[in-house]
Amino acid sequence: MKKKYIVTTIVTAVFLLGVSLFAWLKPADAFSLSERRRLEQFPEISFDSIISGSFMKDFEDYTLDQFPLRDEFRKIKAFVAMNFFGAKENNGIYVYDGYVSKTEYPLDEESVVKAGDKLEYVYNEYLKDTETKNYLAIIPDKNCFLADKGGVLSIDYEEMISLIRENTGFLEYIDITENLSIDDFYKTDTHWKQENIVDVAQVLCNGMGTSSTQQYTEKTLDKEFYGVYYGQSALPLESETIKYLTNEAIENCVVYDYQNGKETSVYDLEKGMGKDPYELFLSGPISLISIENKNAKTDKELIIFRDSFGSSIAPLLIDGYKKITLVDIRYIHPNFLGQYIEFNNQDVLFLYSTSVLNNSETIK
Amino acid sequence: MLFSSIPFLYYFLPVVLILYFIAPKKLKNSVLLLTSLVFYGWGEPKYVVLMIASILIGYVSGLLIEAFSQKKLSKLFLWLSVGINIGFLAYFKYADFFIENFNTATGLSVPLLRIALPIGISFYTFQILSYTVDVYRKDVPAQKNLINLAAYVTMFPQLIAGPIVRYSHIAKELENRNINVENFAKGMRRFILGLGKKILIANTLGELCDIFKQSDDKSVLFYWLYAVAFMLHVYFDFSGYSDMAIGLGRIFGFNFWENFNYPFISKSATEFWRRWHMSLGTWFRDYVYIPMGGNRVSKPKWFFNIFVVWFLTGFWHGAAWTFIVWGLYFAIFLISEKLLYLKYLEKSKVLSRVYLLVVVGISFVIFNATDMKEAVSYIGGMFGVGGVPLVSTEFFYYLKSFGVTLCIGLIGCTPIVKKTVEKIKEKSIGGKIIAVIEPIFLIALLIVMTAYLVDGSFNPFLYFRF
Repeated sequence: MKKKYIVTTIVTAVFLLGVSLFAWLKPADAFSLSERRRLEQFPEISFDSIISGSFMKDFEDYTLDQFPLRDEFRKIKAFVAMNFFGAKENNGIYVYDGYVSKTEYPLDEESVVKAGDKLEYVYNEYLKDTETKNYLAIIPDKNCFLADKGGVLSIDYEEMISLIRENTGFLEYIDITENLSIDDFYKTDTHWKQENIVDVAQVLCNGMGTSSTQQYTEKTLDKEFYGVYYGQSALPLESETIKYLTNEAIENCVVYDYQNGKETSVYDLEKGMGKDPYELFLSGPISLISIENKNAKTDKELIIFRDSFGSSIAPLLIDGYKKITLVDIRYIHPNFLGQYIEFNNQDVLFLYSTSVLNNSETIK
Repeated sequence: MLFSSIPFLYYFLPVVLILYFIAPKKLKNSVLLLTSLVFYGWGEPKYVVLMIASILIGYVSGLLIEAFSQKKLSKLFLWLSVGINIGFLAYFKYADFFIENFNTATGLSVPLLRIALPIGISFYTFQILSYTVDVYRKDVPAQKNLINLAAYVTMFPQLIAGPIVRYSHIAKELENRNINVENFAKGMRRFILGLGKKILIANTLGELCDIFKQSDDKSVLFYWLYAVAFMLHVYFDFSGYSDMAIGLGRIFGFNFWENFNYPFISKSATEFWRRWHMSLGTWFRDYVYIPMGGNRVSKPKWFFNIFVVWFLTGFWHGAAWTFIVWGLYFAIFLISEKLLYLKYLEKSKVLSRVYLLVVVGISFVIFNATDMKEAVSYIGGMFGVGGVPLVSTEFFYYLKSFGVTLCIGLIGCTPIVKKTVEKIKEKSIGGKIIAVIEPIFLIALLIVMTAYLVDGSFNPFLYFRF
């Protein structure tokens, strides 16, 4: 018998059986840090779950989630897809000049119009017959600065902003796009860096007829930061650091988390040391949260309808206000807002990123 | 269960291999039967009963047909078996199609049955039919051992997406087969290469086809890119599955017949169908076309026979008009070639291949369309009908992004690689180098494919539902 058949038999059989044994014996992990999600556990076996096929489906999810060296295998896939097969993106993620981003394409005009409708609903329900001053600012996502250079498809941002402005004529538009560049974003995350957006805060304050200080102390979170795209990309990327800006006024602010009914702080260091360090800023995704400025020299209040980008810029606006309330209508239906906020003469800023507008089904 | 899944590769297959190779010879078919039932039940627990019923009908019919072979009753048992099995297929696969068309024709609103299609029913029904017909024709003796017959029908390597293995081809191997290291090594190599075709090429090109369908930036060249990508996708998907089936069969000591023979190098539609899905083509030839008289009849009857066979071939692929039109589309080309220009095609080397690729490319646009309206719209788009621009931004982008996979697909669908490897093997040093490289290559391929599976999501085979 030819030696090569013996070798092929042994090598392939040992590989299959070895990996299989590893997979059977490996203890299940509870959480994937790189993907920031809970991993599927071994499903319950019952007559009903087998007959309905749900056991099989859950078992398949379990085997994928718990596969030995899962992250390493995902890295191999990303490497082969992008370097051997020449794919421009891996699972929609691409890299250019060390920056990682997720493609946002095509422009979903219907979604943008619906986003405008949802903002109009808030306006009609709470703002129309009040003395509030109402503003709109749009945060372009990283692709705006990266996609063309990286050679990937991207939406026409000017067209998108025109479209949302056309549908939100009741809001005064403040243009912050000129003050942003790719350097203002984390390399491995979708968000902007707080230390780079002081000028953006200034533009917003000027636009709303107030002012903001530029006097901050820069601090660095004592934890390596791997942004949301790090896990999704499965590419070997370097960690980053999160810096945050503070001063006496910010430190003396009283922050109230309505969602969880508790006081918290502008910079939640406990969350910052957690699974998603970006939650350092105002404790991450919370439907309704307020910041009271004890040192305020004004009675003005600001209400920000926002997505996650709002968490890091809100502290930079506090100098001009006595109170800022942040509302995330992705997590709370606007109909409930009347129970918590009395709209009368506040400044109201709708601050949304283009990626949320292009996927507005997340807005309630 | 899918071959291209982690549960199959690292949970099911290793257990089956261990059980199969430690089982004594007389129990090996039982191991295959039981594990195949688990394999089938994994995806369709409820329909295991239906498959077992089909097997029992085939088994009893075979015995009765043989027992009454000298009498007219034999024919009755044959028709009973054929009728019941076709009845199952008609009910589970085509009932809603018939009701929909009945409703359209009459204006009535007969409610649809909305029955989930049992996986692989088209394949195992055809296998049971061929078995009973072969027994009736006395081509093979009836199988007395129920386990052996059930192992043949349910054998998981070919159960859900073919090839359509004839009982007569493996009857002897069901009783006695060669299980050895050479078969294991060759089978494993074939399986891994088939898995690679499916995961690395078919799935990737499938993504491109999905992207195209959702695109609002279509252009003439993008339509053609889609047509090429889908041709390659369906070829690598299905031939990859056939490779895996043949490879797994070989590991277990069975020699299944080939199902594909580089169909895209054909010079005519006639030749294409001698190279594409050969087990289906020969099935219709042997059990429908020839019994109807084949080409040894008058010309009108011959055309009729061809149209019937290609109507059925299309309809076998799915309960939709697109599949029927796809089958009849080929019937028109096959008749035209036979009557008019086959001899010219056979003389040409380049033009004939261009002709074949265009014919097949358009055929698969029909095949993959959700309805005839979409098919007509896509074919129109390929020729710029309706003011479709020649190029678009997305065309260039996706051509670049999928270019390497397309090139590998285009080379891989020809015998170039196989011939090159064979030439290298002919030389002593070349053979030694390949002997060393081959196992390393196979493991590297397995690692990469595992990486794709771990990274990816659920990925059904195209031919699953046919």
